[in-house]
Amino acid sequence: MEFVIQSVGMGLAVGSIYALIALGFALLFKATKVLNLAHGELVLFGGYLAIALTQVLPFPLAVLGTLAFAALLGFAVERVIMRPLFGQPLLSVIIVTLALGYIIRGLTVGIWGGDTRQFPPVLPAGLIHLGGAQIPQLGIWSALTALLLLAAFGLFFRMTYLGIAMRAAANEQLTASTLGVSLMRVVAFAWAFAAIAAAIGGVLLGLWLGVNVALGFVGLKALAAVILGGLDSIPGAILGGFIVGLVENLIGGYIDAHIIYGFKEITAFLIILAVMLIRPYGLFGTEHIERL
Amino acid sequence: MAAVRPCGDFKVSYAADMALLDTSFYRAGFAVLVAALAAAPLLLGRYIFLMNIIGIFAIGATGLAILTGFTGQISLGHAAFMAVGAYASAFTSERLGLPFPAAMVVASLVAFLFGAAVGLPSLRIKGLYLAIATLAFQFLIEYIIIHATGGTGAILVPPAGLGRFVVETEVQFYYLLLALWLGSGIFAANVLRSRYGLAFMAVRDRDYAAEVLGINLLRYKVLSFGLAAFYAGLAGSLWAHYNKLITPEHFTILTSIDYIAMIVIGGMGSIWGPHLGSAFVVFLSQGLKILTPLLIKVLPVFGKIAVPAREVLFGMVIVGLLIWEPGGLAMLLRKLKRYLDLWPFAY
Repeated sequence: MEFVIQSVGMGLAVGSIYALIALGFALLFKATKVLNLAHGELVLFGGYLAIALTQVLPFPLAVLGTLAFAALLGFAVERVIMRPLFGQPLLSVIIVTLALGYIIRGLTVGIWGGDTRQFPPVLPAGLIHLGGAQIPQLGIWSALTALLLLAAFGLFFRMTYLGIAMRAAANEQLTASTLGVSLMRVVAFAWAFAAIAAAIGGVLLGLWLGVNVALGFVGLKALAAVILGGLDSIPGAILGGFIVGLVENLIGGYIDAHIIYGFKEITAFLIILAVMLIRPYGLFGTEHIERL
Repeated sequence: MAAVRPCGDFKVSYAADMALLDTSFYRAGFAVLVAALAAAPLLLGRYIFLMNIIGIFAIGATGLAILTGFTGQISLGHAAFMAVGAYASAFTSERLGLPFPAAMVVASLVAFLFGAAVGLPSLRIKGLYLAIATLAFQFLIEYIIIHATGGTGAILVPPAGLGRFVVETEVQFYYLLLALWLGSGIFAANVLRSRYGLAFMAVRDRDYAAEVLGINLLRYKVLSFGLAAFYAGLAGSLWAHYNKLITPEHFTILTSIDYIAMIVIGGMGSIWGPHLGSAFVVFLSQGLKILTPLLIKVLPVFGKIAVPAREVLFGMVIVGLLIWEPGGLAMLLRKLKRYLDLWPFAY
């Protein structure tokens, strides 16, 4: 029982961060049909940048600075790399995001080195006791932040002009463009938001676990979340994030502890394979119907 | 293939038209290339190990070129097939005591089976879903190897050889590798101009249209995956017997991405692409390794950023090539040749 409560708590906390990172994935895919395999590296970069900025700035300012820089990075990626490749075959686009991942990881490691770094303690540390299980308080804080941000993104897409334009473009590119939506702007903002979501994910995970190069692999867990929820569905990505977090901590954690060591690490990939075999377009994704 | 045919070069038979090296220029060029490769140990001296690494990765990359460049199926798990080959080879030669050639064949065939198994779902999931599925496969294989071998997954492998004869030096290994390298390259070129290769290209260009034309999609997709894995398995087996020690760290997702970098840099629609790409990638990374001690003397900071510098350079080369020259190095060479054909006049 203790194990279940603890795992559910941890799963929801981690899952909320996965959901946030997955949101960036899904957002970008919905608006641009680009699967960004460099997303994990954006998370990594966000985490390191935020830590570097906390050395010179107070924490809230450092986070704001990180987000501003992440947005700039997103715009730059769109302008320099993605715009010349607009309309190129899928393979080129996937490979270019891999290359982008290389560049970002190389820069991150080159600038800050690959070792683990910690944030200064800004959120209260310590454990919360819940029915005999212990859940780190930081996890709850990051889950709350993630939920808040998910709500903010949701409101943004519903209420603001830009958000509506982005949804329109994602829904039907050609029609949206005839109605005066600038596709280039939409793509640029999609990249910026994806980078921001990734950076927030990096900061939250960094606050909780510290930042090191392995953080880049969180991108793959978020990938499992989006695949599960459906690549072009934002609610799906969020739900997928929570499910991946829960499955990883409950089932993966159980098997890890009792049957095979290290099983937790590959739970996400098993989820991907299972979804691929049963329902490749995910829970809420649009089924792609191919015609000659 | 040839852009400009020399004057008076008339083909009078289908065989001559289908020849891999269809002009005397290409035949002479290929002869020079083979001679240069055979003489490489004399020219390179102690740097011959570079050619060994290039050759092994070129064989693996040829497989990926068949799969991704010619059949259009994206695989982000090519290093996993290489790992399968390497560990199968280590197992058969170490535990079962089979001689190296047998271990190599067994490893390649085991990899072929794995490839065919991974290729099976490619009928249902395609494009980026397939890429993600192969990515998941890559991590599963890494995990399985680590847990099946216990601990770090490091295994000692006996050196290559047959009976009394053992390949000990880099140069001996180089000649062994060179024969396999040429053989596998020529085999790939022949496959690609056969019915199989044409079917692969039809599948790449539009799989349903190919099916309507009577190409059995399942068969050719599975075959392409199997062939790609076969090449990767061969490369893995050679790598195992060359290195004499394998760990899963040789075959991570980063190696898979290196493979993709190789075929993109080399040129995806070309049989020369994987070889050029492998040479480029290996020269870049090993060259940086060799240059690092020299550069540290001039710029002490360089020691820390050598590895990241390689990654950033790779990334930039790939991005630049995809934007400006999607045909890769092979296309650049062809353009150079076309320019020289008519040089110094542009007409």
